[in-house]
Amino acid sequence: MEIVQAIIDRINYIGAAILFVIGLYTVLTHPNLIKKVIGINIMETAVFLLMVSVGYVAGGNAPILGLTKEQTSELYVNPLPTAMILTGIVVAVSITAYSLSLIVKIYEAYGTIEVDEIMELRSEKAVE
Amino acid sequence: MKRPLNSMQFPLYVLLLLLMGSVIIPLTTEKFNMKAKTVILGTLVLSWGMMLSTFINVLREGPYLYNIGNWGPKIGIQFNIDIFSTSMSLFILSLSILVIIYSLKDIEHEIYFKQISVYYSLVLLLILGMVGITVTNDLFNTYVFMEILAITSCAIISIKRKKENYMASFRYLILNTLGSLSFLFGVALLYMVTGYLNMSEIYIRINQVWELYPTNLLLALGLMLTGLGIKAAVFPLHVWLPDAHSTAPTPSSALLSGLVVKVYIFTAMKLLFRVIGLEIIDTINIPSFITYFAVVGMIMGSVFAIGQRDIKRLLAYSSVAQIGYIFLGVGLATELGLSAGLFHVVSHGFMKSLLFLSAGAIIYKTGKRDIRTFKGIGYQMPLTMILFTVGALGMIGIPGLNGFMSKWYLGFAVLEKGQPIYLIVILLSSFLNAIYYLPIIISAFLTEGEERNIMVLEDIPKTMSIPMVLIASFCIITGFFPQIVMDVVSRAIPTFL
Repeated sequence: MEIVQAIIDRINYIGAAILFVIGLYTVLTHPNLIKKVIGINIMETAVFLLMVSVGYVAGGNAPILGLTKEQTSELYVNPLPTAMILTGIVVAVSITAYSLSLIVKIYEAYGTIEVDEIMELRSEKAVE
Repeated sequence: MKRPLNSMQFPLYVLLLLLMGSVIIPLTTEKFNMKAKTVILGTLVLSWGMMLSTFINVLREGPYLYNIGNWGPKIGIQFNIDIFSTSMSLFILSLSILVIIYSLKDIEHEIYFKQISVYYSLVLLLILGMVGITVTNDLFNTYVFMEILAITSCAIISIKRKKENYMASFRYLILNTLGSLSFLFGVALLYMVTGYLNMSEIYIRINQVWELYPTNLLLALGLMLTGLGIKAAVFPLHVWLPDAHSTAPTPSSALLSGLVVKVYIFTAMKLLFRVIGLEIIDTINIPSFITYFAVVGMIMGSVFAIGQRDIKRLLAYSSVAQIGYIFLGVGLATELGLSAGLFHVVSHGFMKSLLFLSAGAIIYKTGKRDIRTFKGIGYQMPLTMILFTVGALGMIGIPGLNGFMSKWYLGFAVLEKGQPIYLIVILLSSFLNAIYYLPIIISAFLTEGEERNIMVLEDIPKTMSIPMVLIASFCIITGFFPQIVMDVVSRAIPTFL
């Protein structure tokens, strides 16, 4: 029972690790370029989840001073990781946008977005 | 210590100036004319001047920590302005100015003319990222600058509208993002243990508690070093580099190969010695692992380069080998080793950009990329080929050039550490360098071309030849007087150990 409890306590971290590995697997093995980008996004989500979980304080309020009338609970969730993740999301969006626009260009150039087919096309060209 | 407030803020001004420049350039001019060139060079020269004055200030009065917006180290971003960061930023800015002066002419035939001003906007952002990553003392800030670097360095490859560029740039982007994300994962793990993102604060905290959280520390170090290894093209992780560096427009290749890879090495050095500390990494034996990878890279990079026919691809593989030298110096984790590594950062930056620029001049003038067609090219383009020879001989390690001096220092560092086997590897790698650089020089000067070999002074534009001559003369000067760089570098190193 202790093991189950330990897993439940750390479910955020375990989830982050599993998502990270799923994303990494997709990026490295999937031949479809768009799915590679999706893999990158899954990895980003994993890192964000980990970072936000780090800042979580059990029973803490949102870090807005004067939100509650009574000043009994002095516990606040650490706002710094959340703020950093906002930056991280912006970065993630720009990476996704740029890579998708590159994929459009690749599709225009090769007529496919499967890596193996592109490699075939390139090797045929090299033989000629 | 009392300092004038304005000059204290110069590093931040440099970053803001570069950011402003990159926004202004595409806004002001439709066409790429004199006005745009003035803005680009003015921005760079001004920031170079400010960095120089900061550097002199730091040399005279010692290092300081600069808090942006005066937020404390717990929540704010901090810059560490010391000899290391200012001298390396100065190196980055100087080399970028020279490459950009060269690029003003060369870029016109490499990319579509309407995108030239966008290109310079990206280049300024790239320089912003490099300077920022060098001066920052904050791990999350490092990640942000890394992503700026990732996007801009891919964009200055894919801006050349060729099929290969899109693929090379996409692969570079994906691997780069993998690297950044591993780094961020590691940052989160370190934050979990210490509650700080500031490097100096983490160093204090982690040395108190690391025995309690070995898993976190090991995972964080592994992920962050792998991420930086992908970005710095350490040997088994270098797969993106040859495509990306060889297909890019020439000025981009020079910037990417000479500078961008290096700033990740700076980050790795900061991570190992400033964030974690020598005591911990020695306990878990990380430096010797780094040297193993470095040594394999030194040999394999050169072996791959021997098989290449395309001149820029050859230079790109040569970079993989040279990164190995730098990491060997870093992995020795001694004062001599680190200074040899940093010295090689500077000398490789100058030599490799000289090689890429002269290769670019050959492509600009004759359109030849295949080294088998270089017969007699030394007579068509004597100046360019002489400059290429200076760079190539420096890479091989001929005495009198800076490449020799960095191998010399590295050799001493290896012997001091008591591992003469690495000296043999350095010599072997030099021989391999000679195997692929000398045939180019020989076929350029000593064999008959298709036409009769008549010595003519080529007419490459002045803006292209002058930067190359300046870089080459720097290579020769530091070959004879290595103290110029070494004095600064050896004063910067004690802050790491």
